[in-house]
Amino acid sequence: MDPLAELKQTFFQECEELLGALEQRLQALDEGSTDPEDVNAAFRAIHSIKGGAGAFGCTELVAFAHVFEASLDHLRSGRVAVEDAPFALFLRCSDAVADLVSAARNDEPARPRPDLLEALEQVGKPAGAAAPPAAAPAKPAAPVPVAAPAPAAPAVSADDAPPGIAALGNLLAMVEAKTGVGAPAADTGWDDEPAAKAASKGPASGKPGRDVVLKISPENDLFRRVIEPRVVFASLPADDIVSIACDLSHVPPLETIDVSDCWMRFVVTMRTELSIEEIYSRFDFTLAAEEFEIEVLAGEPANDDAPVSPPVAAPVAAAAPTSEVSGSVAADLSAILAKLGPAPAATSAPDIQPVAPAVMPIAAPAPVVEAPAAARAAARAPANDAAAARQRQAVSVRVDLDRIDKLMNLVGEIVITQSMLVECVRSLPYDVHAAKTAEGILTLSRQTRELQDHVMAVRAQPVKAVFQRMPRLVRELAQTLGKEVRLVLEGENTEVDKTIIEELADPLTHMIRNSMDHGVETPDERIAAGKPPEGVIKLVAEHRAGRIVISVTDDGRGIGRDRLLAKAKSRGLVGADEKLAPEEIDQLIFAAGLSTAEVISDVSGRGVGMDVVRRNVESLGGRISVDSEPGRGCKFTLALPLTLAVLEGMVIRCAEDRYVIPIASVIETQHLASTPIEHLTFGQEVLRWRGEITPLYRLGSVMGSSGTPNENIIIIAETERGDNVGIAVDEIVGQQQVVVKSLEGNYGTVNGASAATILGDGLVALILDVDSMLRLAATSERPPATELKLAG
Amino acid sequence: MTLQLGEKHFSSAQPESAARRIVTFKVGDRTFGIDVGMVREIKGWQATTPLPHAAPHVRGVLNLRGVILAVYDLRTSIGLGTTDATATHVIVVVDIEDKVAGLLVDSVSDIVDVPVSAVRPAPDLERDEHGLIEGLVLLDTDIVALLDLAAVIRDGGAETPIARVARAS
Repeated sequence: MDPLAELKQTFFQECEELLGALEQRLQALDEGSTDPEDVNAAFRAIHSIKGGAGAFGCTELVAFAHVFEASLDHLRSGRVAVEDAPFALFLRCSDAVADLVSAARNDEPARPRPDLLEALEQVGKPAGAAAPPAAAPAKPAAPVPVAAPAPAAPAVSADDAPPGIAALGNLLAMVEAKTGVGAPAADTGWDDEPAAKAASKGPASGKPGRDVVLKISPENDLFRRVIEPRVVFASLPADDIVSIACDLSHVPPLETIDVSDCWMRFVVTMRTELSIEEIYSRFDFTLAAEEFEIEVLAGEPANDDAPVSPPVAAPVAAAAPTSEVSGSVAADLSAILAKLGPAPAATSAPDIQPVAPAVMPIAAPAPVVEAPAAARAAARAPANDAAAARQRQAVSVRVDLDRIDKLMNLVGEIVITQSMLVECVRSLPYDVHAAKTAEGILTLSRQTRELQDHVMAVRAQPVKAVFQRMPRLVRELAQTLGKEVRLVLEGENTEVDKTIIEELADPLTHMIRNSMDHGVETPDERIAAGKPPEGVIKLVAEHRAGRIVISVTDDGRGIGRDRLLAKAKSRGLVGADEKLAPEEIDQLIFAAGLSTAEVISDVSGRGVGMDVVRRNVESLGGRISVDSEPGRGCKFTLALPLTLAVLEGMVIRCAEDRYVIPIASVIETQHLASTPIEHLTFGQEVLRWRGEITPLYRLGSVMGSSGTPNENIIIIAETERGDNVGIAVDEIVGQQQVVVKSLEGNYGTVNGASAATILGDGLVALILDVDSMLRLAATSERPPATELKLAG
Repeated sequence: MTLQLGEKHFSSAQPESAARRIVTFKVGDRTFGIDVGMVREIKGWQATTPLPHAAPHVRGVLNLRGVILAVYDLRTSIGLGTTDATATHVIVVVDIEDKVAGLLVDSVSDIVDVPVSAVRPAPDLERDEHGLIEGLVLLDTDIVALLDLAAVIRDGGAETPIARVARAS
């Protein structure tokens, strides 16, 4: 499902909740409630529906909701007394909205409700108030200002006069466009010219509050924190912003710019009633304290004791855009800002509330998983109670990953302490107290486990966040290379820890580039080889053996072994007269400085690709392998741990040493005595397991355990390739969840082990990595000369 | 276990700023020293978990309040065999580059201030033999060998292909 469709679905789910809230509030009012919060909540519900509907192009729904919202606004503003309001009509309208929603959901034509619209439009009139919205809703097809652009098209045209935050998005698009041109401020005249025209007329007159200048200097990693300037601005009340100036003087020349760096600095002039503390708190989730400065210029001091003051009906609109011209784009920005004021024509008092619903779509470039979650959380709020409404903006929080990490570490320590307690209790003499303690600890274990799962869940994300970037990469590369390629994605919902997600993008990009460039042939070549002209690259993610395994498979020409070997020999990586098995030749693709592309291209081919990928993957405790079939295609398989934090393990003993083997790699355990063992050449032992010949490794000799092992248990384990192996150990001590502790941090890679953990007695045990163990076993049996060269 | 160490000041005309504060410790009858700033803590011996096929001077890893660190046997590094560790032996926990490591020694002796000018370069003999000594200081009657910690732990990390070949042959 494409992301837009998914967001749309989320929107409809929210609509259900919002409609429920709307109906409930209207019902309460109909039954005589005079609580203004009921009116507000109903208004917010319909407003949110309208905003979302606009983003997804549900015109009829928007048109109807718009009129409905306008009528409710009369109540809110007091032009129509709550006692006189026609709630029966409103309830019928709420049903009509529900019908429109379901029509939009099922892509059916909506039933027009001119009668209701007519009735709604009469609501404000008897009160004699200036009912400005009357004209607009009469033509349902008329473009009604919507709260936010659809995520797929974050930048809307300025002519649409989008209200509030959307305009800020627009403004940012302009800034980005300029940055894209890469013209430093003074290069072109058009940056400076409008700035000169913008006369400084002082702060917006008539608006209470004081003048505040915010200097926002985000760190370069702003975008990587998935925060954008418009998100930052969105945390300020749109009405309070007098001008935003962007300083592009720090932007480096185009050729050196890294697009993921943020070089923009902003100066925001505000006239606001917020206290300094309140402004600070608004940046809690977006900016670090050192990234902005707040300077108070003048104006009547706002009442610091008061809570966030209710929105004041004083649009900056009419006032000429005033700007503190400090940056080059300032005038353009303030021109757009001028449109902020009059935008929501229907609501005479533009207020803070549009901010909340608008945040979701605007933040859409952020990983998609976050947006619906935030929106759902925000949507639930009005249904709850009055107090919740005020906290709506805080329902979903951005938390620094660092804080979650600390939490995670602490949970890890608790798990260790808890297993320590379990061991203590075991050694107690049996009596009533011991039994009670054991019971308590059992409960504690369960709760600890649950706590851990929850903390892990906070960090888990579907790999979709990374996979989604790939189709575009493929499209662009296909064009550059003149190839026809279809990308097939599978298992995008496979969840993996955030730390891993972040590390996936680079290797995947490299692997796909490699397949596009070296693997898939040009259409002509493919036809000549009897293949369809369009190549297929499959990107598949799945959980296997406690890891996430991602494979990139292409149906191209496969690895050119002769060329690869010749190249490796010419570089001295392989001895001139050395004979390598075909699979060994394929692995050379991961050696440093090898590239077999005939023409070094921009795409790949400088030979810095796959060896870098391998190193990065291995540093994460992962592995990459390649299977190639000449003429048929090539498959890269990337296996990474699901998390760098915890795993379910079986504690085993071999001689004096204890190890942990991930339970996910264990298929079964059995006694050695009951299993027939046969010896092959070179001392390799095999056993028959379920009718299959399975190689047997003795843990003691592979890992060089101290003492004499008495191996009488066999663990049948699964490798990442899906093969089975037998591992002979002395004893199975138990099964427990262990906290993964890095060995690389303070030591280095340990062959045979992926990491270490701390057992209940405080001692360290290595966590076995079956595949790495097998390689260790294999290398100690092979002649050293070959090995040395391959390792280089 | 934290040791309270007496301080002995080196009598010298050198200004305080040009002094190095050194922690000294013993392995057998030899005295070694490292800058006090590199020492994170000093703790009693605690059993380690051996690492498979690690270099001989790597005693194994231990848990220091949730952090796994490797312990290096200084006696092995200087070619005097393996320490038969008991409760009286001491692990000096040091910060080296961006890692934390443990150094197994017999005992910690003292903290002394040594003028920079009193540090002599290590004789070539020492350097050729082990490459572990950064300089020498004459302290009373003892010769304190200042350790190059990076060199002490250098070959203890991931097994190099050469080490693997050496072991296999």
